[in-house]
Amino acid sequence: MGLVTRAPQGVELRGVEKRYGEVVAVRALDLEVRPGELVVLVGPSGCGKSTLLRLIAGLIAPTAGEVWIGGRRVDDVEPGARDVSMVFQSYALYPHMTVAGNLGFGLRVRGTPRDEIERRVAEAAAALGLSDLLSRRPGQLSGGQRQRVALGRAMVRDPGVFLFDEPLSNLDAELRLRTRDEIAALHRRLGTTMIFVTHDQVEALSLGERVAVMDRGRLQQVGTPDEVYRRPRNLFVAGFVGSPPINCIPLARDEGGRLVGGPFALHAPAGLDRATLGVRPEDLSLAGGGDGGDPTGAGDFRAAVLRVEALGSEQRVHLDGPGDAAWVARAGPSLRVAPGDRVRISIAWERSHLFGPDGRREEMAPRPMNRPASP
Amino acid sequence: MSGARPPALAALAAVVLAAGLALVLAIAAGRVQSVRVAAAEAEGRMAAALWEEAGGAQSGARAVGGLLGERATILGAGDGGDRAGAYAYEAGALDPAAWIAVEPHGADGLPGTLPGGALAIALAGAALVAGWAARRRRGPVSSRYPRGIALLSLGCVALAAAIAGRWADGELRSLSAATAARGAQAVELALAGGADPARAARVAHLPWAEDGALEATSEQWTMPAGVAAAIAASPDRAGQPAGAPYTVEADGATWHVAHAADVHLAFLGYERTASPALALAAAAALAALLVALALHLVQLAPRPRALRRMLAAWGLLAPAATLILAFTLGPLLFSLWISLHEWRLIDPAPLFLGLDNYAALLADGEWGSAIGNTALFTLHVPAAMAVALALALLTRGSRRAMRWARLALFLPGITSVAAIAVVWKWLLSDRYGLLNRGLERVGLDSVPWLTSPDTALVSLMMIGIWMVVGYQIVVFQAGLAAIPRDWYDAARVDGAGPWQRFRHVTLPGLRHTLFFVLVTSVIGSFQVFGLVYVMTEGGPLGATDVAVYHIYREAWEFLQFGNAAAMSWMLFAVVFAATWLHFRFLDTRRAHG
Repeated sequence: MGLVTRAPQGVELRGVEKRYGEVVAVRALDLEVRPGELVVLVGPSGCGKSTLLRLIAGLIAPTAGEVWIGGRRVDDVEPGARDVSMVFQSYALYPHMTVAGNLGFGLRVRGTPRDEIERRVAEAAAALGLSDLLSRRPGQLSGGQRQRVALGRAMVRDPGVFLFDEPLSNLDAELRLRTRDEIAALHRRLGTTMIFVTHDQVEALSLGERVAVMDRGRLQQVGTPDEVYRRPRNLFVAGFVGSPPINCIPLARDEGGRLVGGPFALHAPAGLDRATLGVRPEDLSLAGGGDGGDPTGAGDFRAAVLRVEALGSEQRVHLDGPGDAAWVARAGPSLRVAPGDRVRISIAWERSHLFGPDGRREEMAPRPMNRPASP
Repeated sequence: MSGARPPALAALAAVVLAAGLALVLAIAAGRVQSVRVAAAEAEGRMAAALWEEAGGAQSGARAVGGLLGERATILGAGDGGDRAGAYAYEAGALDPAAWIAVEPHGADGLPGTLPGGALAIALAGAALVAGWAARRRRGPVSSRYPRGIALLSLGCVALAAAIAGRWADGELRSLSAATAARGAQAVELALAGGADPARAARVAHLPWAEDGALEATSEQWTMPAGVAAAIAASPDRAGQPAGAPYTVEADGATWHVAHAADVHLAFLGYERTASPALALAAAAALAALLVALALHLVQLAPRPRALRRMLAAWGLLAPAATLILAFTLGPLLFSLWISLHEWRLIDPAPLFLGLDNYAALLADGEWGSAIGNTALFTLHVPAAMAVALALALLTRGSRRAMRWARLALFLPGITSVAAIAVVWKWLLSDRYGLLNRGLERVGLDSVPWLTSPDTALVSLMMIGIWMVVGYQIVVFQAGLAAIPRDWYDAARVDGAGPWQRFRHVTLPGLRHTLFFVLVTSVIGSFQVFGLVYVMTEGGPLGATDVAVYHIYREAWEFLQFGNAAAMSWMLFAVVFAATWLHFRFLDTRRAHG
């Protein structure tokens, strides 16, 4: 391929903050992206992830803190001199230029010799399957083709860091999956540092080597997809990552020193008066249909089935419980339950989480007491 | 289909027919009436002139009185006496013009003459009979019956138009002959009262003849040489008693002529030149429209909902459509018609010239220089656009200062042109103007801003820029706001500097806006009038004589309405061509969606 000849660059943010008057978009944020790494910034809309990306690109200046790219402090460096390139959600293609013109724009404004521009444009076009479209204009391309041109425009410049601002959100579902795979393949092939912004946690988990979850201008957790999913640092991360979302129920300490809520009575770690129990849908197992005997295992409970979503490879069972909550369980395709059935449900306690009143996850997994609470 | 339809249809057809006939007759009658009034006015002027020539003497007064008595009956307003005298006096204050009657040949060549009308009726009848026959054979045929009615109606209207045209022609011809006779009679009366014959004729602006030779000019009118020769050679001229009108065929028209006995004075009675053909054609078109409408209504009658919707639609359209017809399309067609004639507004009737006006304009140096001045003036548009774009970029944003700046820049665009022109005229005044005083204060020579042919047009162009920039800024800013921010961000990430962003993002992003502003401003520039009218009146030495001002002067100062209308249409052609070229070579919308 020969597209990338330069070493990938690392990105480091030190105490970066961005305020718009009273509004704080990003607050005191530290993040290190290692050279060649693909990090996904994910969070709900308005969480500051796009602002963070623009801070890295240099399109906006931080109110406080430092931005380092490739071991160089770049706070005062123009975007064009930061050795980054960016793919925009809107693709930001120039409608008056051909595909070739769009691809070569970044090189042209830098005064790259014409024959080199042509060579690199041709290489990028070949890599992305755009060779036949070079003389078209963006208005004559499909959404997927435009997306590829936007990608190619970033590649042609051979940057140290790739920035992606929700590049897939304008594609239909099928094309999004395919493009996601292509970007992952591109990353493997080029080995360039990539920072990818999305609001879609599935996209984040599938694409990122590390995932940075943001909320309200703060980094909530940075870690591998597995860490973020299995060991969420707090209730927000636990709730944001995973689909269907994690099941929760509030607990409070009773006179007996137990944490109780709904049908549950748990051993209370020291100093915890209130807490939230979090259980992933796949950590609930449903025992048969019918109305079998009383729950036998510690912490098992019974609930009525409200609705069953049969998704082929799995079923999602909506429960009327525990307590006032309405949990969703993920079950295999062979389970036979129908709305109205009462089922016995047991919980994989070792994989469940207990979150303190400040939302922080307790290191210890919740432990049920043998004697169930009164219903 | 329903049994009630044929009677309803017949009633509708009758109403449409009656309306069409009434319209045609009204138009013809109106035409005759307007010519009568014009004739009376011309006579009034003539009488007043003769009265003055006779020094207000008894006989002059008698001459006038004799005429005015007649005129009073023609006008049907009051009889003789003071009122008519006052009118004559007022009319005499007007600049008297020559008048002449011309009856172009083929004037009544409307297709709807008698045989044409008869043919149409026959066709319509045949269609109707065929429709009836078809209906008999194949049961109710809803579409044929209205079609037959429509054809019949059209035929009737055409016939009526033809008859009305004939009637109007006859009326006007006799009116013309009578006027010619009275003209000769009036001159004789004036002579009997002691007026000098040559002066009497001249003051009355009559071509006159002495010793058998016709003098073909008066103060304001040149008789075509062919006409003079034809009158001189006319066998009727010798045989006619004084005051008896006769006709001479010359120059493609019929001239009604009478002469006074003692002096060989020829008096040319006037007559309509505009055949009612145009009016009748319009009436026929209108009638056809009415019939088509009626037909449509008839077809919709069985479907009340569709009928209601159509009526509602037309009801809603009617006010706007009426306005457009009355104030846009009507005047447009009228000016086209005038441009084919010589018409000085005070002429009783326009003289048909065909394309002579246009041909003459092609060789008219003054008109050519007016077009050239207009083109030069239009060069201020690109300059204004550059200034406006720069200011639009400078005053972007929502800061208070920028908003005030934009308001200030926009003010000239909404201020009356007359006010602007007056203020600038003071500012640019040679000796007292603020600008020249300022120049003198800093030790420079004053500039004859508006008084030198070298600088006047440039001064106007500068004011033109100042006036149009505010509007352009507003349009440019709307265009700038429509350029996606991502384009700028992408360009910055790609390393484009401010100039490159302007060159590769702003300009291409504004191309539709630029095109729009260019086209509208060029059109506006071609129509410049107010500035010139107030500030320079086309001077000095015609340096600022732009097309519209030239047209204005041609019409309202020289009263050459035919010429002015032809100029207007030539200007339209130029603007149209310029706009077409813009669209052809600059419009990029088709290239990418």
